[in-house]
Amino acid sequence: MRHYSRSISLFFVVCGLLFTLAQPCFSADGDAVDFLSDDFYEDETASIETDDPLESFNRAMFQLNDTTYTYVFNPVAEGYSKVVPPDIRGVVWNFFRNLEEPVRFINCLLQGRISDAGTVFVRFLINTTGGVAGLGNPAGREFGFKRVEATLGETMATWGIGDGLYLVVPFYGPSTLRDFTGTVIDGFGMTPYYTFTDDLGVMAGIYLGKETNKLSMSLGEYEEFKKLSFDPYVALRNGYFQYRKKLRDHSVPNDGE
Amino acid sequence: MNIKNTIKTPSTVLGMLMILLLATPIAGLSSTVPDPTQQMKPFVNKMTKILAEADVKNDSQCSICQRLIDISRERFDYNEMSKRVLGKAWRKLSKEEKENFVDLFTELLQYAYVGKIQNYAGQSIEFTGQRIKGKRAEVKTELVDNNKTIPVSYIMLLEGDQWMVYDVVVEGVSLIRNYMEQFREILRKEQYSGLVKQIEKKVKELQDERAQRIAKQQQ
Repeated sequence: MRHYSRSISLFFVVCGLLFTLAQPCFSADGDAVDFLSDDFYEDETASIETDDPLESFNRAMFQLNDTTYTYVFNPVAEGYSKVVPPDIRGVVWNFFRNLEEPVRFINCLLQGRISDAGTVFVRFLINTTGGVAGLGNPAGREFGFKRVEATLGETMATWGIGDGLYLVVPFYGPSTLRDFTGTVIDGFGMTPYYTFTDDLGVMAGIYLGKETNKLSMSLGEYEEFKKLSFDPYVALRNGYFQYRKKLRDHSVPNDGE
Repeated sequence: MNIKNTIKTPSTVLGMLMILLLATPIAGLSSTVPDPTQQMKPFVNKMTKILAEADVKNDSQCSICQRLIDISRERFDYNEMSKRVLGKAWRKLSKEEKENFVDLFTELLQYAYVGKIQNYAGQSIEFTGQRIKGKRAEVKTELVDNNKTIPVSYIMLLEGDQWMVYDVVVEGVSLIRNYMEQFREILRKEQYSGLVKQIEKKVKELQDERAQRIAKQQQ
């Protein structure tokens, strides 16, 4: 663990530095966007464009991700999807999601979403027991406890920390400085399946397995999206912020169980 | 005729006021806002039915696309969509340019939207709720696939007594807003004429890609 704990701490130092450097924090999570308010379309000053000072770096990373996706991740996930039937993939997805519930629980509490924290807690209890270690999702399917999303990135947002800047992370995808820092802490610090082992190779294996499984459930979507875009980089950036806003709008319950 | 003759006494005035007061809520009730979901349902059913019956395999020219676009006009306001997607730039266009742009953008959307629901033809579409705010409404649906559910919302504007769609929101991402941001960058760099060229190119690409895909399926 020692040799890469140093690189992790280095990562945080770099992040900290970038945070202080990236002073003009833009706030992408202002008021929840209401599609039914018209100003949204007509007010040019209420721009949906986001601060992207690292655009040239981000574009390069986007290109890198696009290439690795097309030539590595997508073929792997496609092969995987041919071998593993959809319901098994669903089970794998449930399993990982369930293991992450404690992280969501803590983040809900840190955000003051007490009732959501309760839902996460109950879901975790039901799915771990009735769903056999999280393989099934009876909490959602039978009891109607809908999925709750909560990440450290969102927690930091509720505490008033700005996004810093838009960041396309190599082999990961669109994020922001704040959110990606949160993702790393969520992942390393709290998610139990990484603490089972201290072998970086095993960790990476678990992560890749999880992501391959996730990707196998949405094959072809990225290609479709790219095909319809004029500038996939801008389209993805815009889509990322819109989607994130929806995930963090807790006034409406999540779609899907 | 003198007004004084018609309104003779204060009591008549009072009576008229009373009638007015009573009539207002009744009038309000009789002209209630039509239900957006009720208007959207038959339309979605019609579209999916046409798609399900279509002979997609032998339709490399996408004659079905034209049919779907024609029918979609009864519920989709392509003019409103074009206006929104261009934002400020729309106002600078001449009448003719506006008409051209609407046609071009409609053609693009035909691939973005029709292509999308085509993949889901035969899958069930569930109506999960609606929200009305003044003259605008959101009708929420879910496309249910074997292993996942995709939320699709239709954002509508009340025109007369018809609710017309002016944006489609898939998994929280508005199609019009997404194109709006892309178009804005193109407009800034290449002006309006550059944007038109790019959309024309994209439509051509999508047409060719579709024709190729179908040709492959026929083999």
